[in-house]
Amino acid sequence: MRYVKLTEEKLYDFLEKLKEYGKLYAPVKISDKFYDRKEIENVEDIAFEYVRTIMPAKKFFVPPKEKMFDIDIENGEYKENVENVEPFVLFGMHACEIVALRILDAIYMDEFADIYYASRRKAGIIIGLSCLPDEHCFCNLRRTDFVDIGFDLFLHELPDGYLIRVGSPKGHKIVDENPSLFTQVTQKDIDAFREFEEKRQKMFRCYGSFDNIRYLLELTMNDEFWDEEADKCLGCGNCTMTCPTCRCYDVQDIPSIDGKEAIRIRFWDSCQFRSHGLVAGGHNFRPTKKDRFLNRYVCKNSYFYPLGTSYCVGCGNCTYFCPAGIDFLGNLLKVRSVGEAEVKNG
Amino acid sequence: MDNVYALYKCRVLRTYELTDDVRLFLFRFENPEIAESWTFVPGQFVQLSIAGMGEVPISICSSPMRRGFFELCIKKAGRVTSKIFELKPGDIVGVRGPYGNGFPVDKFEGNDLLLIAAGIGMAPLRSVFTYALDNRWKFGNITVINSARFGKKLLFKKELEAMRDVAEAENIRIIQTVTRDPDWPGWVGRAQEHIRHANTKPEKSYVCVCGPPQIYTDVFNKLIEHGYDPRKIYVTLERRMKCGVGKCGHCIAGSSTFLKYICIDGPVFGYYDIISTPGLI
Ligand SMILES: Cc1cc2nc3c(=O)[nH]c(=O)nc-3n(C[C@H](O)[C@H](O)[C@H](O)COP(=O)(O)OP(=O)(O)OC[C@H]3O[C@@H](n4cnc5c(N)ncnc54)[C@H](O)[C@@H]3O)c2cc1C
Ligand code: SF4
Ligand code: SF4
Ligand code: FES
Repeated sequence: MRYVKLTEEKLYDFLEKLKEYGKLYAPVKISDKFYDRKEIENVEDIAFEYVRTIMPAKKFFVPPKEKMFDIDIENGEYKENVENVEPFVLFGMHACEIVALRILDAIYMDEFADIYYASRRKAGIIIGLSCLPDEHCFCNLRRTDFVDIGFDLFLHELPDGYLIRVGSPKGHKIVDENPSLFTQVTQKDIDAFREFEEKRQKMFRCYGSFDNIRYLLELTMNDEFWDEEADKCLGCGNCTMTCPTCRCYDVQDIPSIDGKEAIRIRFWDSCQFRSHGLVAGGHNFRPTKKDRFLNRYVCKNSYFYPLGTSYCVGCGNCTYFCPAGIDFLGNLLKVRSVGEAEVKNG
Repeated sequence: MDNVYALYKCRVLRTYELTDDVRLFLFRFENPEIAESWTFVPGQFVQLSIAGMGEVPISICSSPMRRGFFELCIKKAGRVTSKIFELKPGDIVGVRGPYGNGFPVDKFEGNDLLLIAAGIGMAPLRSVFTYALDNRWKFGNITVINSARFGKKLLFKKELEAMRDVAEAENIRIIQTVTRDPDWPGWVGRAQEHIRHANTKPEKSYVCVCGPPQIYTDVFNKLIEHGYDPRKIYVTLERRMKCGVGKCGHCIAGSSTFLKYICIDGPVFGYYDIISTPGLI
């Protein structure tokens, strides 16, 4: 891998430069508690310390609502609505978010490639940023705490700047076209990088292996504590909306008033909604709240073959944004070792 | 890049009442190139689109040997399917697909074939059956068990009835059975009760089962009791579907150790998949 260093003094020049490669989006603080990824006018607005944003980065690739076709009902013609997406830069993507994008990539582009997703993905430049976990993060257990591919540049915080990993031809291009922004990595930088990683590894809530969780989950599905947890759930769907890898959508045709035309739209849906499993004749594949509650645990913890991870990247968003205070990781830890949920070592 | 959600125009050529609420539709592709190249495997389905109403997943019920044409057998079940029932010969619809894995018909070759259908489940199995008839020399004995509650609800009743005499000469047995119809002159009882009347040799048969999932466990037990090989038993499953291509997440089913997309990993699943996956049926 190619490494370069960005010194603290050049940081804002670098961010300014990124705007030349596309519209720049980065996390900004929008209230006491919350951050969101917004278009950046002034690079000094960017928040580097953020842990999570209110909307995951999927919104840039799978918008909450989009028009797929304009339909001419009378002639049965469908005109596709694929936008020509201008290049854009997502700055400050954490490792788990990048893995989440790769999961979406595999879903949307490996087989039956989705042109709407692909056209946005092609236009997106991904700039990673190292982070420190809060109590809801468990990317270490999901093995998504460090990412090897899926970014153009990845910035690792140093006391006096950033160690940058160059991850793609686009990344190389940015480095090559701006030699004055970067310097060589020194032994001191490598030591600082190692120190950061060591410090970070000691900050997680929990350690150990999580690979067996899907089996333990399957074996404990009938435990009573799931009834109690499901009882607390409001069925609001916040957990799936804020999940970086949840991407269920619904499709609908909306006719014009004269009935001559229609649009076919798709929009985010959630397995936590009753209608998600409803089919003709009123049969529902997930009739009870508990069915729907457990469905998310089942789905997120199952194995995602193309990447060898699970569908969940351990970002903790679902817990952080749950109005009922349901602790996703906490519940999984109960499954892993009933009675000693808070296993901390190291 | 092609748009996977784009639709091919198809013209309705014929509609035919199978029962009071199930109708058979014959379609032809408008574009001659598509008509020539489009093919499928029995057990696969299409997304049928009615402009301004939406799309529904429907199994193809004809044989893939007939290029350019295909048949769908549709039950009036709700919004979109009611609109489909208004279609007349000459009307245009949108179709995309075929989707799903389909039955492994290549593996079936050289074996006997037992097809067990309940209700609308006859639709995908009629595709397997007509495919087997079109390639009669590739298969051994064949039995079709077609079941419904009432005689008037049996799908393809006349078609199957009409070929009964020829069928025996061709080592094909057709058993049409009903559960709740005292006036029905033929077989009575549930489909699985007639497995013993099949002309197929258990040790060298492939079995396809399609019907409401509630009957599957019972059918499995009967099949195994009669010596059929669990490795050669297949069923089809149904879920709500919006995309048909593994994107919308609606058809995801199974457990945390065996999560499947019914639209791309299925809708056909093997016996062992079913019994090791809570939530699949
Ligand atoms: C793989 C597969 C094969 C099928 N093959 C056949 C067939 O050969 N013949 C037949 O008559 N029916 C078949 N069905 C069922 C058929 O798709 C539904 O009856 C149909 O979608 C009902 O739509 P509706 O708009 O009339 O009903 P509504 O209840 O008004 O449904 C509204 C929407 O919900 C979704 N939906 C509702 N029920 C189902 C369902 N059972 N499966 C999937 N999506 C659903 C559809 O998107 C539908 O447009 C099949 C379903 C699947 C999944
Ligand atoms: S966010 Fe919490 S309350 Fe809302 S559906 Fe998810 S688990 Fe239930
Ligand atoms: S399930 Fe929860 S922790 Fe896992 S990726 Fe989704 S939001 Fe993050
Ligand atoms: S129908 Fe959309 S994922 Fe299967």
